[in-house]
Amino acid sequence: MSSSAPYVSSTDLGALWPTFVIAATALVALVFDLFMGKGIVRRYFAVVIAAIGLVIGGVMTAQQYGHPVVAFDGAYIVGGFSVVFSEIAIVATLITLGLGIGIGRDDQVAGTTALVLWSTCGAMLMAGASNLMMVFLGLELLSLGLYCLCGMSIRTTAREAALKYLLLSSMASGFLLYGMALLFGATGAVDFAAIAATAPSPLIALGAGLFLVGLAFKLSLVPFHVWTPDVYEGAPLSVTAYMSIVTKAGTLAVLARFIYAALPPSTAAAILVPLWTVAAISMIVGNLAALSQTDMKRLLAYSGIAQVGYIVAAFAGQTALGLRYAIFYLGAYTVMNLGAFAVLALMMKDADGTVGLGRFAGLAYRRPWLAAAMTFFLLGLAGLPPTAGFTGKILILASSVGAGFAWLAGLLILGTAISAYVYFKIVRAMFVRVDEAHVRDERSTNPLPWISIAVCALALFAFGLYPLAPSDVLPFVK
Amino acid sequence: MIVTSLVLGPILIGLALFALPKSADGAAKWIGVLVAAAACALLTFEPSAPDASLPWLSRPFTAAYHFGYGPVSYWLALLLALTTVCALVALRAPRVREYTAQMLVLQGAMTGVFLAKDLMLFALFWDFMLIPVFMLMIGWGLPVGGRGHRTAAWRYLIYNLVGGLCLLLATAAFGVVHGSTDIIGNTHAGVAIGETWGLWIFAGFAFAFLVKTPVFPFHTWMPDTYAELPPSVVAVVSAVQSKAGLYGFLAIGLPFLGVEMHRAAGIMIALGLISLVYGALTALTQTDAKRIVAYSSLSHLGLILIAIFSFNPLALAGAAVYIIAHGLFSGALFLTLGFVERREETRSLDRLGGLGFENPKLGGALMLAALAALGLPGLAGFAGELLILTGLYAAGLWLVVIVALVPVVIAAAYMLRLFQRVMNGPKVADLPERKDLSWMEGLALAPLVIGFVLLGLNPGPIASLAGHAAEAVLSASQESSHVVLSAVR
Repeated sequence: MSSSAPYVSSTDLGALWPTFVIAATALVALVFDLFMGKGIVRRYFAVVIAAIGLVIGGVMTAQQYGHPVVAFDGAYIVGGFSVVFSEIAIVATLITLGLGIGIGRDDQVAGTTALVLWSTCGAMLMAGASNLMMVFLGLELLSLGLYCLCGMSIRTTAREAALKYLLLSSMASGFLLYGMALLFGATGAVDFAAIAATAPSPLIALGAGLFLVGLAFKLSLVPFHVWTPDVYEGAPLSVTAYMSIVTKAGTLAVLARFIYAALPPSTAAAILVPLWTVAAISMIVGNLAALSQTDMKRLLAYSGIAQVGYIVAAFAGQTALGLRYAIFYLGAYTVMNLGAFAVLALMMKDADGTVGLGRFAGLAYRRPWLAAAMTFFLLGLAGLPPTAGFTGKILILASSVGAGFAWLAGLLILGTAISAYVYFKIVRAMFVRVDEAHVRDERSTNPLPWISIAVCALALFAFGLYPLAPSDVLPFVK
Repeated sequence: MIVTSLVLGPILIGLALFALPKSADGAAKWIGVLVAAAACALLTFEPSAPDASLPWLSRPFTAAYHFGYGPVSYWLALLLALTTVCALVALRAPRVREYTAQMLVLQGAMTGVFLAKDLMLFALFWDFMLIPVFMLMIGWGLPVGGRGHRTAAWRYLIYNLVGGLCLLLATAAFGVVHGSTDIIGNTHAGVAIGETWGLWIFAGFAFAFLVKTPVFPFHTWMPDTYAELPPSVVAVVSAVQSKAGLYGFLAIGLPFLGVEMHRAAGIMIALGLISLVYGALTALTQTDAKRIVAYSSLSHLGLILIAIFSFNPLALAGAAVYIIAHGLFSGALFLTLGFVERREETRSLDRLGGLGFENPKLGGALMLAALAALGLPGLAGFAGELLILTGLYAAGLWLVVIVALVPVVIAAAYMLRLFQRVMNGPKVADLPERKDLSWMEGLALAPLVIGFVLLGLNPGPIASLAGHAAEAVLSASQESSHVVLSAVR
């Protein structure tokens, strides 16, 4: 860059516009909330403003697809890769806001909605970040809002969850920063491209290792997963649903870009073996631990641990196809997981609480459509046809076999076999006749989750038949 | 179009049945019968419908939505449609609407397995067909003793799902190595998998097929499942779903993994023999009527497995005939035992007896089915067994023929024991008067009985079609295996 060039050009800002729009929407929601009266109108107002902002931001993001922009001297790259992850974050935010029409009491909704939107901005920054500073900026922006959101509820478990999340997440950030410092020390650069260009050294390996440990914490890969079930259980349902998708999408974007852009294949093979091992352990341990869960949020937390393991396994071998299929499976996971959360939302009177497995007993006879939807999402999570879960799994299998990681594919199969018991336990409970008197039948008054269910089910089915994986993602990573 | 509608039609109509009002139970049953009968008619009157194909995947391997008839799969699809018609006519259960819907989904999914011409599509339907059976089992299973159908349903699901997942992995590996999965029925695909992958891919396929059939030692899910499934479902599962594994060996193993098939022949024939003998001997000792038929299935299907791994065209033609024959008579047997159970509310041989005196039609039906199962000349079972044994002898496996003849004889013992303990023998004192076979029940059995009588009199069409196909496949796979072997040397 010549010295006469402005520090921030209009191209740089153009790349950030969608993020700006969403961040500004949060402010609008906050300001207008001051003038709103009491009651349900206040809720809807904040959520509708947020939805409008998200849709505009989403459309603007979509327009960036196929038009790569390298902004801020290579710190932020938008165009293909980032668009997909940003869209996943935006759609997930929209759906989770609908689960309980905002989060918290009527007078809290504007505030929580703003926090959610800013967290989404953080995830979008992570999706485009290709520089260590930018990664950290995005990650902290994402996490800060979530610490508050986890503690929204007055229940003690929620407080405990928030504190646990804050402490462990800070520790993960510590690992991440230490890794970044070592990487910077070894290479003198913070850009992924510059790190990739430096000759390999033990210091780089150590830095990359610590960086990956930090990411593994955020992704809750085994053995860095212990915080996840407690936090998922304690947080309000919408926040849990949000964390299960948006945090993962943002962190996976960083992980993918780091693996593909910052680590040259010659050195990566050795550095990344622990990562594949951790992914493999997550697939098995996540599913095994899910076997004994009796609370749906905890069960979905453990199942999420395993599902992230599948996605990370697709990166094995750093193939272009693997990246595409990882993104495809993340998309499939997004719709099936959010669909399952929407079903849970319809089974709760208020979104602040949890659903035990016992509540599913005989559901098919009380609420047949809900049971049918849940069955479909569970089939997806178990990787069975006719869902995108099946297609995604066979694509990941093919890419890991093709990349020479047949052992990983074998373990994926083993993990899936275990998970079948987890998911079909719920299916069986729904279809077994029970004495109605013993089952608590709570219903939500909010019909919005039905829209989420319809959209998610349709997408899950359509993507299963037509695996729409973004074709030209890899060039935008580097 | 016709082929696609055979697969998707029942699934879509089945799902639509859920939307019917709850009071429309009777109508739902007859809609189901109509759909299955329409599938029968389509297959019968359009035996040369063109393939339906749409592109699906282009990376990492090419795959297509490709459905079409094959020499064995055509007959299996016809058998499936026929069995479903019979099972639905015989159906009498609570919540008929949901039951029929699941049966139709099952029919569509299984037709998909047989008519799929793409391996990935095959794997898709292979996994899909587990779901309706599992649902039927938890919704309408017959709890016998303590823990009842719950454990049986689990065992069925997990066992078959593990098989299905191995199939999935093998399919993915096959696609990556060969570059395309759109190959079933295309004997000139020139598939050469090679040493390193071939064995693993074959192992994955073979495990799935052996579990599904089932064959010793992977059969442990089968007796409980067959005993506890409701009669209409078990008729379809035992008659047709159990053939999916054997069909897999014929349609995927023989043409594309010939080298590995030849290598594994010793083990497979041994497993087949063990199943054949073990199944027959166990059937002799069972006191649950359905379990007798379940173990007899194990025995019969073991014989078919041996026939497939003899690589003799005559034995393979016999295998095709016996696959269809077994479907017809085991369907009839299970339906008849369902009628017995409906009357007596028990399947235990110790608590049954003398039923045939007052129910001559029911007795006659069981007699016919049992005679077909034990291989009476003139009925379908005999035609299949004779072709297989002659083929095995021609292939030089005379030692196997000698061992295989023993269980074929034992079959007469356990089948006649079943008949005698249920229909003859001392009449159970406290047995209330029961009505004989109703016209509806007779209607349900008639197509199957006519089927195995006709097939017994003239197994020609199936045998020659399958025989010619087998010769073509064998010669093609021999060529390719020569090429591979010479390349290895």
